[in-house]
Amino acid sequence: MTGGDPKAPALARRLLEAALPRGSRTEAMLGDLEEEFAARVRTGGRRARAWYWREAFLLASRYTFTRWSDPRDGRALDPRPGGGGGMLETVWADVRYSARRLVRSPLFTGVAVLSLALGIGANTAIFSLVNAIVLRDAPYAEPDALVDVYFQTPGFTHGVLSHPDFRDLIDASAGVFSGLAGSQLTLVQADAEAGVRLLTAEAVSGDYFGVLGIRPLVGRLLGPQDDVAPGAHPVVALSHGFWERRFGSDPGIVGGELRLGGRPYTIVGVTPRDYHGMIRGLEPEVYVPLMMYEALLPGSNTLTERRNHSLFAKGRLMPSAGIVQAQGLLDRATNDFRARYPEAWTESDALVAVPTTDVIMNPMVDRVLLPAAGMIMVVVGLVLLIACANLASFLLARAADRRREIAVRIALGAARGRIVGQLLTEAVMLALVGGAAGIGLAAWSLRLLLTADLPLPLPITIDASLDGTVLSFSLGVSVAAGLLFGLAPSVQATRPDVSGTLRDEAAASGRGRGARLRDALVVGQVAVSVVLLVAAGLFLRSLDASRRVELGFGGPPAGIVELVLPAERYPGPEAMAFLDRLEERIAGLPGVRSVGATSNLHLNPTSTTTSEFVIEGVAPPAGQDFHSVDFARIDGGYPASAGLRIVEGRGFTAADGPDSEPVVIVNEAFVSRFFPDGDVLGRSIRQTDEGEVTSVGVMATARIRQIGEDPRPFVYGNLRQSRPTFVALVASTTVDAERTALAMFDEARSLDPEVMAYSTGTMERHLAVMLLPRRLGAVVVSAFAGLALILATIGLYGIVSHAVSRRVREVGIRLSLGADAGDVTWMLTRSGIRLVVVGGALGLTVSAVVARLIGRLLFGVPPLDLVTFLGVPALFAVVATVASWVPASRATRVDPVAALRSE
Amino acid sequence: MGGSNRQLGDLEELVLLALLRLGDDAYGGSIRQELAERAGREVSISTVYVTLMRLEEKGLVRSWMGEPSGERGGKAKRHFAARPEGVEALESVRAVRERMWEGLGEGDVHVG
Repeated sequence: MTGGDPKAPALARRLLEAALPRGSRTEAMLGDLEEEFAARVRTGGRRARAWYWREAFLLASRYTFTRWSDPRDGRALDPRPGGGGGMLETVWADVRYSARRLVRSPLFTGVAVLSLALGIGANTAIFSLVNAIVLRDAPYAEPDALVDVYFQTPGFTHGVLSHPDFRDLIDASAGVFSGLAGSQLTLVQADAEAGVRLLTAEAVSGDYFGVLGIRPLVGRLLGPQDDVAPGAHPVVALSHGFWERRFGSDPGIVGGELRLGGRPYTIVGVTPRDYHGMIRGLEPEVYVPLMMYEALLPGSNTLTERRNHSLFAKGRLMPSAGIVQAQGLLDRATNDFRARYPEAWTESDALVAVPTTDVIMNPMVDRVLLPAAGMIMVVVGLVLLIACANLASFLLARAADRRREIAVRIALGAARGRIVGQLLTEAVMLALVGGAAGIGLAAWSLRLLLTADLPLPLPITIDASLDGTVLSFSLGVSVAAGLLFGLAPSVQATRPDVSGTLRDEAAASGRGRGARLRDALVVGQVAVSVVLLVAAGLFLRSLDASRRVELGFGGPPAGIVELVLPAERYPGPEAMAFLDRLEERIAGLPGVRSVGATSNLHLNPTSTTTSEFVIEGVAPPAGQDFHSVDFARIDGGYPASAGLRIVEGRGFTAADGPDSEPVVIVNEAFVSRFFPDGDVLGRSIRQTDEGEVTSVGVMATARIRQIGEDPRPFVYGNLRQSRPTFVALVASTTVDAERTALAMFDEARSLDPEVMAYSTGTMERHLAVMLLPRRLGAVVVSAFAGLALILATIGLYGIVSHAVSRRVREVGIRLSLGADAGDVTWMLTRSGIRLVVVGGALGLTVSAVVARLIGRLLFGVPPLDLVTFLGVPALFAVVATVASWVPASRATRVDPVAALRSE
Repeated sequence: MGGSNRQLGDLEELVLLALLRLGDDAYGGSIRQELAERAGREVSISTVYVTLMRLEEKGLVRSWMGEPSGERGGKAKRHFAARPEGVEALESVRAVRERMWEGLGEGDVHVG
């Protein structure tokens, strides 16, 4: 404690004052507490406060639990004697009363809690994802002074920088930026206990941690001294997660060694737990100096090539500068770079500044991410709405059953507010229990989702832990649900028509205002479920359509191994010789039908490569003197093993060697774009990097970048007429492709024990990456639509069985008068089906609008898809009939005599 | 007063004894401290008050408000004192105990 009078915890004191009745006894007790607190605080403020809180809690709960009766001694009487009702006491009494009532009807409670648990669980799960990806702030120091720097080029509004541009920018940044942080994500090969494994790494510039304001948890982080000369600084900082997993959080690891790319790196420190790297969702396991990049990935020219863009950059503004000055600086740099490096900078290229706090992942990604996050929040919000409608509907039904009791209490003088309070307490308690169960459900389903083996192009890490934000969200949703959806039934139940209710209770059991409200709720539930089911149906049909697209690529099952052939290890012809020997061995593996290699697979979401061509008679786009065409190199075996089809001319053969005439194969889309007369074989094309190349064949057009794209021109260069650095080996196989891929890797390993492989997989998985967003969307929306269907069914079942229970007497009369049981069942079932028809019609109308809105996200399916729009009502008809018929048929099985006696 | 009111619980007995020991200075806080220091019983303020109130109900204890003071956050004290009935009750408890102990020597008290 620093000076002044030690004060008891104000919050505890205030709560206590609210809980206890005002009076001299309370004053004396508070005084005693205050006095002893003052004595205790001298030996330690924290313990004294803890003591005070404990005492306050005991006092408040004791007061609430035991009624302090009046002392007989008149002098001891308080102005407001015990039991006069502090606020806490009333609430506590309501809570106990509600708990007893809820426990007494376990079926009602169970169904209501389950409904809410599903609704709140879905919201908690999705919100924790949104929180992790969109809302949670990165732990940068003074984030307002940070600015993202992007390279803008046609087609890429916010792209990455090249290393040379980044270094030039640092030199030019005086007066505006106090420092610039650059970072490049990469995979590096690390020694594991057995063999090697790939780690995700962030190669960072010297000022990176200083500029971002990230402090080490253990040891030190990387600094400018670690980033001076290429290959000279084998040091590494570990991410918190990697330190925990691999080194068991051993703080003594600093100074230890980690082998990366076959070379020892000294571990200098560990990043803090809450720092997950510069690119959200892509957490690196290690941080290495940028200058070590080429040592880790030999053969790359990333550090020196100005046309190779791969660096993310953030600058820290000087106190005197703002975003305007930052953009001014970047404009000057843009002009300077255009003048100095015309080979890399065209007139349409530019540098742009965006405040870091305005960006989630990347402005281009955010444009997709935010609407997607918004849409999914709307979907789960609708699911919650349906769940809450169940809650309200059940409460209404219960309130109707309790009308008489409530009317009696009001007639006896109970305050209406007290009764509403009690009913609300019940609703909020249900919501809280449902919320707690929902949080459990969310934690479980998130674990399932995040550990699922998704075919991701990059190892995405999302820290979707249920933190304080998420828990307060769920708590808030639960309380709001309880209050909002408990209010109407409570007010309804206590409507002051006391005498009417008491007089003819029998009449009130008919269809009053409460029943109409319940009907409306079910109609709403059905409508919302129909909308979600239609959306799910459309997404599922899109997925199905995109699965059935003829890709022209990757048809045969195949194993894939991606290798790096660094120039140091395989100078010149050695690379091709190694590849030849490896292909020969792979061809001998059991089940392998053909094997080939390429520099880049089609439909690769993380990398597309283009090359520049000059074609006689076809003018290049404005501002350029060449055509930029998608390009990859392949060898002779590749078309057969990757399911590509040569339709004209020939493929590459052993005769097309490094010393013979350079040859290419073009695709049909290329022919129709550049050689409309179709006469392309033997024609010479100028490739700006390579000189004249001759086209010897035409390939059927395959999908290049996306499943849904229009035919894209493509040129296949000859792998043998280059020195390949990155190659993907593809072996089509008649046995299990996964096993084939592993066998391929083993062959590579046996040829060269230190070979660098950065992935082994199958063609099926490679293509699944492209389908993943569509598949995830379809699965997630279907899951929630299914949930909505279940909830609406519960609601429907509930309302029909309640109606039936109210009409037991009527059913008894009808049956005893000789009515047919089937007719009576149908009469009761009809009441449910009527609601479904109204709700379904409403839902389909809204669906037609929604379908048009999401039309852009659909593939190969019209928004008003007949299959979906007929299938959903059919599904609903079946479900609704069952949900209504089951409780209805039960009513007709009762003994008529017993039913007549039941009221 | 009925005889049943003279039955004292263990804590009631200790609180009454504390009242006698503390004399004029008996109030919630000091009683709590006396119990802690002399009897080795750590109880909360609320327990002290519940016990005192029960004793008041039984007519064994009386209480009155003191003057507010600058300490204690300006809150007045409630003073407590044993009534003659309280002292009687204590004495009867003591008498019962003494009768039970009568004739027991050191050697008679052992475990097992």
